[in-house]
Amino acid sequence: MNQTSTIASSYSPPFRIVSKYFIAAIISFVLLNLSLLLNHSDIVGHHFNPKILGITHIATLGWITMIIFGALFQLIPVVLEVKLFSEKLAEVQFWIYTVGAIGLIYCFWYFNTGKYMNISAILLNLAMFIFSFNIIMTFIRVKKWNITGLYLGAAIFYLIVTAVAGLLLAINLGSPFIKIDHLQYLNLHAHTAFIGWVSMVVMGVTFKLIPMFTLSHGYKLKFAIWAFIFINIGLLGINTIFHYQETNFLYYIFTPMISVGICLFLIQVYIIFKNRVRKKLDTGLRFSAYAYLMLVLTTILGTFIAFIDYQNIINLTLIYGYMIIFGFFSMLIVGQMYKIVPFLVWYHKYSGKVGIEKVPMLKEMFSEKIAQYGFYIMIIALFGSLFSLTFRNEFGLIASFSLMLLSSLIFSFNMTTIFRK
Amino acid sequence: MVNKAEILEILKGVIDPEIGINIVDLGLVYEIESTEESNKITMTLTTPGCPMHNSITGWVENIITQFEPDKKTIVNLVWEPRWTPDRMSPEAKQELAQRNY
Repeated sequence: MNQTSTIASSYSPPFRIVSKYFIAAIISFVLLNLSLLLNHSDIVGHHFNPKILGITHIATLGWITMIIFGALFQLIPVVLEVKLFSEKLAEVQFWIYTVGAIGLIYCFWYFNTGKYMNISAILLNLAMFIFSFNIIMTFIRVKKWNITGLYLGAAIFYLIVTAVAGLLLAINLGSPFIKIDHLQYLNLHAHTAFIGWVSMVVMGVTFKLIPMFTLSHGYKLKFAIWAFIFINIGLLGINTIFHYQETNFLYYIFTPMISVGICLFLIQVYIIFKNRVRKKLDTGLRFSAYAYLMLVLTTILGTFIAFIDYQNIINLTLIYGYMIIFGFFSMLIVGQMYKIVPFLVWYHKYSGKVGIEKVPMLKEMFSEKIAQYGFYIMIIALFGSLFSLTFRNEFGLIASFSLMLLSSLIFSFNMTTIFRK
Repeated sequence: MVNKAEILEILKGVIDPEIGINIVDLGLVYEIESTEESNKITMTLTTPGCPMHNSITGWVENIITQFEPDKKTIVNLVWEPRWTPDRMSPEAKQELAQRNY
């Protein structure tokens, strides 16, 4: 028996930093659903519409990226067994990012292109560069690399690409200078954000958290490695060829590579779930499992869209975007938050009391029953919205968006309960 | 002075808050060395880099010290041999397979 480690010191950053990001994200999720409901009449037709651009950025900047920042500040030190480079930078970044995000969303909403939109985009870029610097400096200290670290490294790269592309697009709206068609460049920005930044984080973290929560053992991660190779070659390829008109035929090679990569990731997830010891899934894991199933549908739709003239089917981009943001990312985030937040609060409030006084179990930190209702409501809302978007049914949209709002309120109620525990 | 079997029994009071099963039935306790001066618990966790790391080892330390306040409690956390589900007691295995959380 080799003694390879003694009791290590805590790597986690202060709770106030992580919780700030989480609270901002939860508020954004409710606001996102409220804006969808109040502006349901705008959620039809072509996706290039000020309200849709505003709402999409509430989702991507306020909800998804804010939660990823918070989660990574917590998870990177734990997963890679290293202390965060600077807690101060994580704090400063929050305020710069929040001002930038509010500014950009406001500018999209009222289609105020020019100075203020550019300043907001610059602030967002600054915040993302601070984040990347902080994480890269943390990575430098890592002694034991693993597959999660590899995925997270790629995610940071794509975050910067997404941010810079976003800034160029913002400037281009006020004073056009990009040679490529704006919508095509927007497509590139969105896919680098979703597949490069968000999915790389989600995938990397999946390989660490899902086995931990399900007690999955005895499998290899070879599909995870191949998924990484395929997705990255595909995405880097697309990012390059879009800039050179004569290489556009390569699009039909790189796009399927991304789809194959996502399929390999899904096979790896299936293997992890199949090898789990905890057979029954709690609410957090049920949300997550359904999110992966939604990724199957999203990938099929995304691959289909890549080979047709989707601009002519004007609702298709909206349906695809909705599936990515709500079907995959939101379901997964909600599920993982039901696992991470109770643990974080428990860790900060009760871990020092273990063995001294009675402390609650993690499942006692919130009402599992209410969370289950939230799950069913979210599933109904998801399919209801997709159906209503497809058939442009206004009543269906109002009903579905109301249910999604209700589900987000249940989620925020449960999160508040945990925070106040 | 408590013997090894009694220490093992005491350690059943340490429950993994995420899984809800004690560390002995989970098969996390590898070895107990009890001397006049100290109790040394060699144990592992289900996953290296587990966020419960400090909580569980701290809990082990606290609970043993409560029973033997005059002795030093040493928690020796190791990753070799790696934990596998085969180390769980049959009761723990059954509980995890059936329970709804």
